[in-house]
Amino acid sequence: MLQHVYLIPLIPLAASILILLGAKEDPRSPMPFLGIAATGWCLLQSIAIFYGAATGALSLPYGADWRWFSFGATAGGKPFLYDMPVGVLIDGSAAMMLVVVTLVSFLVQVYSLSYMRGDPRFKRYYAYLSFFTASMLGLVVSSNLLVTFSCWELVGFSSYMLIGFWFERPDPPYAAKKAFITTKLGDLGLYLALMLIFCQVGSFQIPQIREFVARGFMPAAAATAIGLGILCGAAGKSAQFPLFIWLPDAMEGPTPVSALIHAATMVAAGIYLVARCYFIFAISPVAMETVAWIGAITALLAATMAMVSYDIKRVLAFSTVSQLGFMMCALGSWGFSAGLFHLTTHAAFKALLFLCAGSVIHAVHTNDMRQMGNLDKKMPITFFATLAGTFAIAGIPGFSGFFSKDMILERVFEHDPRLFAILAFSACLTAFYMFRLVFMTFLGQERDMDRYLHAHESPWPMTVPLFVLMALAAFSGWLLDRGEFFTRLVHFEALPGQAAAHEAAHAPAYLTWYVTAAVFFAIYLAYRLYGGSNFREAESIKRRCAPVFNLLERRYYLDKFFLALVGLGDQAARLAFWIDSEVVDRFFVDGWGLLMLALARLCHLFDDNIIDRSIDGTGGLSVSLGGTLRWIVRRGLVQEYLLWSAAVMSVLTLLTLPAQRYCLGASVGLGLLAILTLLLVRRPR
Amino acid sequence: MSLGHYLLLGAALFIIGLFGALTRRNVIGILMSIELMFNAANINLAACNSYLHPAGVAGMTLAVFVITVAAAEVVVGLALVLAVYRNSATAYVEDFSLLKG
Amino acid sequence: MIEAIAFYSMAAVALLGALLVVSLRNTVHSSLALGLSLAGVAGIFANLGADFLFAGQLLIYVGGIAIIIVFVVMLLGRTSDLHLRQVNQQWGAALLVCAMTGVSLWRLARGYLGVRAAAPAAPTTRAIGLLMLGDYAVPFELVTLVLVAALLGAIFFSRKSADGEVPS
Repeated sequence: MLQHVYLIPLIPLAASILILLGAKEDPRSPMPFLGIAATGWCLLQSIAIFYGAATGALSLPYGADWRWFSFGATAGGKPFLYDMPVGVLIDGSAAMMLVVVTLVSFLVQVYSLSYMRGDPRFKRYYAYLSFFTASMLGLVVSSNLLVTFSCWELVGFSSYMLIGFWFERPDPPYAAKKAFITTKLGDLGLYLALMLIFCQVGSFQIPQIREFVARGFMPAAAATAIGLGILCGAAGKSAQFPLFIWLPDAMEGPTPVSALIHAATMVAAGIYLVARCYFIFAISPVAMETVAWIGAITALLAATMAMVSYDIKRVLAFSTVSQLGFMMCALGSWGFSAGLFHLTTHAAFKALLFLCAGSVIHAVHTNDMRQMGNLDKKMPITFFATLAGTFAIAGIPGFSGFFSKDMILERVFEHDPRLFAILAFSACLTAFYMFRLVFMTFLGQERDMDRYLHAHESPWPMTVPLFVLMALAAFSGWLLDRGEFFTRLVHFEALPGQAAAHEAAHAPAYLTWYVTAAVFFAIYLAYRLYGGSNFREAESIKRRCAPVFNLLERRYYLDKFFLALVGLGDQAARLAFWIDSEVVDRFFVDGWGLLMLALARLCHLFDDNIIDRSIDGTGGLSVSLGGTLRWIVRRGLVQEYLLWSAAVMSVLTLLTLPAQRYCLGASVGLGLLAILTLLLVRRPR
Repeated sequence: MSLGHYLLLGAALFIIGLFGALTRRNVIGILMSIELMFNAANINLAACNSYLHPAGVAGMTLAVFVITVAAAEVVVGLALVLAVYRNSATAYVEDFSLLKG
Repeated sequence: MIEAIAFYSMAAVALLGALLVVSLRNTVHSSLALGLSLAGVAGIFANLGADFLFAGQLLIYVGGIAIIIVFVVMLLGRTSDLHLRQVNQQWGAALLVCAMTGVSLWRLARGYLGVRAAAPAAPTTRAIGLLMLGDYAVPFELVTLVLVAALLGAIFFSRKSADGEVPS
């Protein structure tokens, strides 16, 4: 079935278009089932591919290309054809991602049947979800980086549409814009990296680029630049420091959207892209280190910010950012499989947590955890599901998150113990704030009686996905890690000439238990602070560390920083405009015009006085000459005419004769005398 | 007598005729002076023919033509003079100043 | 010797006649002097051996043109005019011009003073006739046309119309 893998992105796209155009907006429209059916078909195909890959029935990597366009150029004097095919490349990581994306998308769409019921744009919501699924799948399977980039942008566009889905309210459009523009900032770096790749390699095809790098044609400096560019794009899309500011605000969108896009799939696109282009990072230690440290910093900062949030979705958002930081750090520490393993498990338990949060919000109609409490008896399924997800994310042994986080910590420790310290501390913080969430929401005393009384369990479209995800969160880690299965399926083929020792893991075994002990301690702390009926101790700590809390609540003032940057851009634009209108327009353009005017005036002056005068002068000369000649014939006497002509004729004949001195002198003298006499003749009659 | 003598004779006749054409007040006087100039030319033609090309008679033929044309011209000129005299009762050329200005 | 005498005498006649033409006050005398001068020219032609020209000159010029001029002079002349000055004011300038022209003509003619006759003169009439009606037939005809035109012109200018008006 790998021959039809290209259909996997196209079917949801078709479904999206059909849903959008096919029927009118109707709360009871059957269109959502079309979307669910399309995604379900993709899910089955993906599971089949994964199963085939796992059992070895299908051989990976699989690639297929179709001709899109090609253009010729001259490189070094010789004609050269640049081929831009569009194609698919399925390797282990792609197969994994296919299952993750289609599964979560399918579950979220089922969940939304109940969550979004009654919304006036119910049908369009499913069109957007299908469109998003199509774009994400296109990003996953594409072998042409240009197509990947296009799908990248489309995924961002879908995110924009879905965050701002309830655009009647003031906050969602702002959040959507913020998300789009912030990711766009990262995409600038990615675009530059793509162009650099093309300049170096001459192709956007991933296998060809890998071959190029494997043969050592790419200089390390170029690889560093490309790597940093890709990291820039990934930082935008996967909410790494400092471009994570959009993700907390993106929670304005519907909760299923948050579960699908901002927990499991779209934010994983950055990690996935880094993994796809891992061979470029492999030859650039600088880029790898940068990736690792950015990831670590992100993990730490986000964890700290999650500790002070009261909005249940915000906590989960910061948690997502933190976990993405874990993944990025893993990738940067040569833990390719570890990072992608954590991506897989994270998709499951984070989606689970978001859907549970959605369930809670649906029940009590508020996001604020300070108004919740004691909901465990009222919403048992949701409670157990949340518990499963929390156990997974905290890294309780046996749950999925434990295996993946453990793998990451081992890799990171081998690469750089300082990074390990940061990540371990972040893991403890993770446990702390997640259990804080559980305690505040489900346990303890109810804090708002009305809401408490109103709370109820959710209907089956919302609980069934919770069951599925609960099972995954609990068991997928153990299943996938059995016999190094995941590592065998999803690993990085080392480039020739590079030591393969990077993948060998030999961290001390007691490391895991130390971390787990620290995690349990963090859970105990959370219980102490938030487990009771009131939070007096927590409040007192907060008062004493008020500045720290302020910093965390203001998200390290990063929002202000970026707004200031924008303001800077505005100032720069104003300056440019001033230069253009005052200096360029006034001085150069108008000045040039005035110069031309002066020049024209000068020419006119010249023309008037000199040229016209000379022409008039010539005419006047003719007139005066004519007047002079007229004097000859003034009296009208023919004999005088005859005399003049005879005189001139005789002078001419004399002059044309061969000259001898006395003759010439005599004749000239006589001639002058003749003319004198002629003049004297004209006495008035 | 050499050719030069005849040419000098022609020259003298021509000059006298020119003087007359420039100075005579009577119209017919001018006409007569012009006849003198014609004759001077004829002398030149005949002399050159005789001395320089004795075998041919082209010069003399041309002289015959000159005589003919001179005759025609005199006739026309005299007719004009008569017509003008009838209108203005004067035969003096200084009175005919219609070309004035 | 004979030739010299013949030449000088005929030249004297011609020149004398010419001088009289341009200087006499009486226009009738002047026209008669013209006839004399033309006769002298005829003699010059005879000296040159141009027999046809000699005869033609006498016939046409003396016997035709000079007579016509005498007629017209008598038609126009008033007895009161016969003693008026006939030379106008610009005689001095004319003299100078003639002198200059004379100088140049003299210098031209001087070069040929040594050229002698190559052969004794032969009768020319026959030759002229052959030339006229042979090589120069076209000019001959054209000249005839000129004569006709002159005749017509003269008639036109001199006639009186039916009611006694003269054409002007």
